[in-house]
Amino acid sequence: MTDNATQSSSLDTRDTADATGGGSGTPIISCKDVTVSFGDFQALKGISADVYEGEVVVIFGPSGSGKSTFIRTINRLEEHDGGTIVVNGVELNDDIGNLDQIRSEVGMVFQQFNLFPHLSVLRNITLAPQKVRKMGREESDTLAMELLERVGIPEQAEKFPAQLSGGQQQRVAIARALAMQPKIMLFDEPTSALDPEMIKEVLDVMGELARSGMTMMIVTHEMGFAREVADRFLFFDEGEVVEEGTPEHFFTNPQEDRTKLFLSQIL
Amino acid sequence: MNVANTQDTRIERSTIDLARRWARANLFNGVPNTVLTLVSVTLAVYLIYTLARFVFVGADWEVVDVNRRLIFLGRYPKEEQWRIWPPMWMVMALGGLSYGMLSRGSLRDFAWLGAAVVFILAFLATTTNGMLFGGGVVLAIAAYGLGRLTIDRPLVRSKLRMVTIVGWFLVIPFAIILITGFGGVKPALWGGLLLNVLLAAIGIAVGLPLGILLALSRATSLPVLKGFSTAIIEITRGGPLIAWLFIARFVLPAFIPDAFQTDPIVNSMIVVSLFTGAYVAEIVRGGLQAVDKGQVEAADALGLGTFNVTVFIVLPQAIRAVIPALVSQMIALWKDTTLFAFLGFTDALSGGQAAYNQAAFKGSQIEVLVFVALLFWAVAFGMSRLSQRFERVLGIGVR
Repeated sequence: MTDNATQSSSLDTRDTADATGGGSGTPIISCKDVTVSFGDFQALKGISADVYEGEVVVIFGPSGSGKSTFIRTINRLEEHDGGTIVVNGVELNDDIGNLDQIRSEVGMVFQQFNLFPHLSVLRNITLAPQKVRKMGREESDTLAMELLERVGIPEQAEKFPAQLSGGQQQRVAIARALAMQPKIMLFDEPTSALDPEMIKEVLDVMGELARSGMTMMIVTHEMGFAREVADRFLFFDEGEVVEEGTPEHFFTNPQEDRTKLFLSQIL
Repeated sequence: MNVANTQDTRIERSTIDLARRWARANLFNGVPNTVLTLVSVTLAVYLIYTLARFVFVGADWEVVDVNRRLIFLGRYPKEEQWRIWPPMWMVMALGGLSYGMLSRGSLRDFAWLGAAVVFILAFLATTTNGMLFGGGVVLAIAAYGLGRLTIDRPLVRSKLRMVTIVGWFLVIPFAIILITGFGGVKPALWGGLLLNVLLAAIGIAVGLPLGILLALSRATSLPVLKGFSTAIIEITRGGPLIAWLFIARFVLPAFIPDAFQTDPIVNSMIVVSLFTGAYVAEIVRGGLQAVDKGQVEAADALGLGTFNVTVFIVLPQAIRAVIPALVSQMIALWKDTTLFAFLGFTDALSGGQAAYNQAAFKGSQIEVLVFVALLFWAVAFGMSRLSQRFERVLGIGVR
């Protein structure tokens, strides 16, 4: 992208989570002591984390560390069995009304894209605005085309997902999530299933989104990209947040041994 | 253009050449394959020759000609025959329209159509009914053409598609109202091929949605609903259709208060629909399980809600995956309608039996049975072709 320089300088002004949230005061996502268990296995052992509006938080860590599980609890694709999660002022619990409200405010992008194979690219994007937001067909079509322009593939609107490359499919998935005009975007390893040459096109779209002020939580191993766009890193291991801080903190001065070991393995 | 022209001039030679190469590659590559080819061809030629000899030389088709009414309509009164034509034309027009809209324009379609027309008209063209039927055929071909013409006009096409779908939904109620209503013909007097068609149509029209509902409720986590639908499916599938038909006809009426007694044939139709529904439910359940979990997660994450996720995301993919099995079930139902003969109704098959049992036509079983078999085969084959079209349009295998 062209404005990398201004981007990184603006990021430098944000130092810690508290400083970032300075304007609004209350976090848009607030998790306290969140636990999740699958049978006997405790995947999350009490996670507390706040995300403020406009912040980009990158979560990384070894596989099986609970980072995907954590991001999936934010819109209740996994149910937490302890602690509290408040998203956009609404607490996540068994109340289904709350749930649909939260889900329509939180967009999600999956590792495997999960586009609807029986619908055209355009219909993939317009379905939720039409059914949930009760948007008319023309209005939603216009919105979808704008979003496809934004992710750089307006010419693919009438094709079906199977006719697209992996990178194109993931960009459609981003457009589909954006069509609900969410306040928060969650990315669960969005480039892990992509061939190397397609990773950049997806990261470019995500970088543009971050620069536009979207609140984002991203699980990724693309540390170069993460360093560029993130305000804050969370390092996960064995269901816990081991270390938290700015990208610079992690790249120059990580404190915990586990963090150092993991970073030495992936960098 | 130049390239195309030079190819055109060579087309004859290259076609023969291609055919020769194809034959060598597919029919005569190696001794076992060559032997297999020769044996199959000999067998095929022998069978076709025998059949053709029977149809055109050996057989005496008078029994079929004289008893046409019996085979097609059974005991259905002659003066009410006009009630059958409008729904039949509607079916033919809708069939043509659907087939035309689903096709992608190969000449083979016209060949099939032409063969069917020649065959049918050869039997019927001389009578009033034949002409009425011929009119239907012409209507079907016109509708087919109309469907084909819309390929390049997406707007007209989407409207026409709506008309077609609504038409298919309306045609069965329309047929039943027109046949039974306004002093019409009671179901007890339905007969012949008409009876088979109506039974199968009602079985499909009720059984298909019922089966989908049963499959969905069996897949829920609500214990009462799940248990109830599981019980219906397992009990219904546990008995042969003929046993259920007997129960509906002879056992159930004894337990139902007089005020709620229905026509025996209506009971039987309910049984057929339930039976079909149970099988459809298990087929659809297989389809539901085949839908990727990520699909539901993605739809949930968009906040679509259970109803929308089921109707717009899960069901279309589940049903698309099981269309071949569903069509198989529909074809089975179509042939199972002959079981109604055991309940005392005169369907096409038992009408045929009555025909060759007449003193004047002793020994003409083969003619009658071949003709009736052909009727059943023609409908089953049509269903199979239509479903293949449908599958292709829905893009199965493109994924």
